[in-house]
Amino acid sequence: MNSIEEKLWNYLDGNCSPEEHETISRLIATDETYQRKYQELLAFNQELENMELDAPPMAFTYNVMETIRTEEASKPLKAGIDHRIIKAIAAFFIGTIAVLLVIALANSHTNDVHETVQIPVKVQIPALKNYISGPVLKGFLFFDVVLALFLFDGYLRKKHTLAS
Amino acid sequence: MQSKFSDIELIEQTLQGNQAAYADLVKRHQRFVFTLAMRFTKTREDAEEVAQDSFIKAYRSLHNFQGQSKFSTWLYSIVYTTSMTFLRKHRLDTSSIDDENNHLQLENQSGGFKNDMAENKSRSFYVNQAIEQLLPDDAMIITLFYKGEQSLEEIAITLGIEPNNVKVKLFRARQRLKEKLERNLKHEVSELI
Repeated sequence: MNSIEEKLWNYLDGNCSPEEHETISRLIATDETYQRKYQELLAFNQELENMELDAPPMAFTYNVMETIRTEEASKPLKAGIDHRIIKAIAAFFIGTIAVLLVIALANSHTNDVHETVQIPVKVQIPALKNYISGPVLKGFLFFDVVLALFLFDGYLRKKHTLAS
Repeated sequence: MQSKFSDIELIEQTLQGNQAAYADLVKRHQRFVFTLAMRFTKTREDAEEVAQDSFIKAYRSLHNFQGQSKFSTWLYSIVYTTSMTFLRKHRLDTSSIDDENNHLQLENQSGGFKNDMAENKSRSFYVNQAIEQLLPDDAMIITLFYKGEQSLEEIAITLGIEPNNVKVKLFRARQRLKEKLERNLKHEVSELI
């Protein structure tokens, strides 16, 4: 610490060691320069402690809470989806894939596989030709297009939010 | 009326979905947050915008608040970054308000204070006027130290600097404030004569 002012500010802020504190207290009591400067800084310190805070407008809290409420209300639905539902859907697809794999293996006519894999239940591949008809295919494509548009809309919304 | 709950209790209630608890937190800290914003923006409208943004950001990240520091320290660091972003966006001149034009601006802001000199000439008025003339960082450190009940370590967290740097900056900020205060008072006295 160099200047008298620096020492005195440390003293006023309570940032000096007990030894420094004692030395400065003695200097204030005996040295006129220290005493004058100390009184000056003490008065200035008091003024700073008494300075007033600015008051925000009356409706400030209301405005903040309104903005938060609006934001909460416009949160996308996906935020509210239970994670258990997502896990259940994933389990369903994994199960379906597993079943289809078992059926495919059971019905394969490769000699190696046929001889080694023994499945206790007799399973038959369903006749898919009966299910894949023109309207079903069109319906499937229509669903795909709607899903693609929905995802694209979500992407654009996200981009817009980030930009703003 | 101030809530009887502590900041931590109000945060827990907010995280459980009680928005009224967050409204209590806003009420408790709004004056200080608004004052900090004023130190950067200099106008009430902009300060309101910055303060509002800060509270909304704090609400969004409330689940990230670890409780390792005081809520106020965490909140003030949000106010600081929001204010800095505001200054960058609006490209305000952050240099010291020493030039003549800015002096004129300040006089206009205070509602033509020359006319109200007799009523307004309290020391507190001059202190606030001098603080307005400081650099935003200096004004913020002084406000945090004297009105925010923040220690040097807490101010260091808020500003993202070392506590020793805060000590040096606080010393310099007080020196600059004292100089400005003395100059303003001298100017007023010479005008009265």
